[in-house]
Amino acid sequence: MKIVPRSLRWRLQLWYGAWLAAVLTAFTASAFALVRDSRLRRIDAEIERRMVALGAVFRPPLRDALRPPGPEGRPWFRPGERRPAAEGRSPEEAGAVSGGGPAGGRRPGEPPFFAPPAGAMEALEASLFSQDGPDRFYYRILGHDRFGERRSAGAPPDVPRPAPPPMDFVVRQTAEVREHVRRLRGGTLTLTVGKYIGPDLAELRRLSWILSAAAAGIWALGVVGGAWIAARAIRPVETIGHTAQRIAAGDLSRRIPVAETDTELGRLAEVLNATFDRLCEALARQTRFTADASHELRTPVSVILSQVESVLARPRPAEEYREALEACMRAARRLRHLVESLLTLARFDSGAPAGERERVELDGVAAEALALLRPLASERRLELVADLAPTACVGRRDQLLQMAVNLVSNAIHYNRPRGRVEVRTWTDGDARLEVRDNGIGIRSEDLPHIFERFFRADPARGAADGRAGLGLAITRTIVEAHGGQVEVESREGEGSRFTVRLPSHPEPLAPDDAGNDTRIEKTNR
Amino acid sequence: MRLLVIEDEPDLRSGIARSLRDEGYAVDMAADGEEGLFKAENWTYDVILLDIMLPRVDGWELLRRIRRRGTTPVLMLTARDTVPDRVRGLDGGADDYLTKPFSLEELLARVRALIRRGAGRPSPVIEAGGAVIDLNARSVTRQGERIPLTPREYALVEYLALHRGKVVSRTELYDHLFGDDEDTMSNLLDVHVSNIRKKLGHDFIQTRRGHGYCIE
Repeated sequence: MKIVPRSLRWRLQLWYGAWLAAVLTAFTASAFALVRDSRLRRIDAEIERRMVALGAVFRPPLRDALRPPGPEGRPWFRPGERRPAAEGRSPEEAGAVSGGGPAGGRRPGEPPFFAPPAGAMEALEASLFSQDGPDRFYYRILGHDRFGERRSAGAPPDVPRPAPPPMDFVVRQTAEVREHVRRLRGGTLTLTVGKYIGPDLAELRRLSWILSAAAAGIWALGVVGGAWIAARAIRPVETIGHTAQRIAAGDLSRRIPVAETDTELGRLAEVLNATFDRLCEALARQTRFTADASHELRTPVSVILSQVESVLARPRPAEEYREALEACMRAARRLRHLVESLLTLARFDSGAPAGERERVELDGVAAEALALLRPLASERRLELVADLAPTACVGRRDQLLQMAVNLVSNAIHYNRPRGRVEVRTWTDGDARLEVRDNGIGIRSEDLPHIFERFFRADPARGAADGRAGLGLAITRTIVEAHGGQVEVESREGEGSRFTVRLPSHPEPLAPDDAGNDTRIEKTNR
Repeated sequence: MRLLVIEDEPDLRSGIARSLRDEGYAVDMAADGEEGLFKAENWTYDVILLDIMLPRVDGWELLRRIRRRGTTPVLMLTARDTVPDRVRGLDGGADDYLTKPFSLEELLARVRALIRRGAGRPSPVIEAGGAVIDLNARSVTRQGERIPLTPREYALVEYLALHRGKVVSRTELYDHLFGDDEDTMSNLLDVHVSNIRKKLGHDFIQTRRGHGYCIE
């Protein structure tokens, strides 16, 4: 079972979802903590303000503070104690301390107890510990644990009597209240000021809900938006895959639709389309070549078959057998020529080693080609003109001879009676061979194609005289295999000029060396 | 039956023509599109064998022009064997399509079929005038007995049988039985007719004076 989906899109999605959730959680949590802390600080400040006020009320005059505790060790403050009458207060006025039972009068010599001024506690309670409104504070005053305590109205009744706090100042918080407990006067007086924080906590809870809802909303938005963008981003990949599949299935004309050329995928699609174009072209060329080759092979085979079949059908005069055999011979020669040409091309195509390269006199090669073709030229009443300057190049003599023969025989075939074929060799840094004729020329629309295999300007012409349309293709292949180039200029009806440029032999031609077979290293040039 | 072979490869042309002549057909030949078009437009042929890759006027164009004028069955001979090429040929009006290299036997069978269909008699056996003419075996039998005929005599019988019940003029017979390279003496037809009558009986071929001949 797979837990992590394999799809790129879903993996991205998962990653972004998780990451976004983590970020949002952290952000929300810290925001909440910040708000809560600030709220608590504000509460603490309020509590402290009241604590100070409360403390001020209970602060004894300085002299009391300096006086040691009473001889009985009584605390300076006792809840429920009445004020000394000398101070002119009614017992009711001193009722700030509650819960105390009836107490005796002040004994003489006893230091006066501290007591808040009359009405101070009430004023304090009215102003700072009001139970109206949402912010309710309370206090609790605890004397030495032998004595009672005083609580403001609204102080939680159920707050347990605190154990003596281990420290002078403690902050306590329960679900309902937050209170500060401060020990004063060496632990004899414990002041507790608290606040009902229910409303605050409710507000904080509301805030936490709002924050969570907002975070969830943002998360959902992010995930959905991410899914949308991921889907959009992935769609071209799916299109590309789909198209490639169709192409692989044989629909070679199909291309990837390129809508956005600026994105990475758009550029990828363009590159792929260009690749498909080139593949398609190569395939088409290959198909055409095969079709052409089979076409060229079919005709001579048809000749042989029909000739043999027809003469074998019944006994015939010797003359007819002879004619049939001659026809078969011609067809077989044509086949041989075709097969040799195809083999030559195939050998070059497969990148077979070119063999030993040697110094070749291009003028000698041209002269030999002319000698070979002179009978054909005179048969067609053509004039062959040679202007051969000594020129040396590097290569294989047999191939260069084939190249020259192809060019000259081409010039002879596509000529007119009493036409003229000129062959020149010279050197201008490179070794040069030029074959020029004043024959029928080549149509300008055919010029770019004449070096293609099986190309014939007139498809029917040449078929009858056994020319398959491979001569110029072989010529170019040979020249390029020698590191040279062949060019053609032609004007229809005026003639053509083929120019071959080959790397020349590095050493100048020594007069006594001419014609000798000078081997050179392959790497020489 | 008179056929036209339009093929630019001379050795192939001569081989096909030799076989067709052996079968008793009159064969005309053309080496390029122009010559082929000229002959196709000026003579009546029973079948035209047409190569596609032709100098001057190519096979497609030639087919188009032949079809503009008449219904002569055309058999295309070509080295192009791809389906689009065949479809193009047949859609262009060719009646049949044969790719090179082909067997002569098949070529002859297709020619026979085209001739039958061209005459509106797809069955290869015709009964006429009390004789059975087997177009495939190129034989004539009468009461189960095979009558020996020369190819030319057979061709004459076949032509008349294919146009059975119709009067065929002497000119038409000359046109369809003799090639353009044959010296046709005016009485050659009469010689053949009289020989056939000797073999198959006088009433087999009827003479309609001033009109021509007829097999009932």
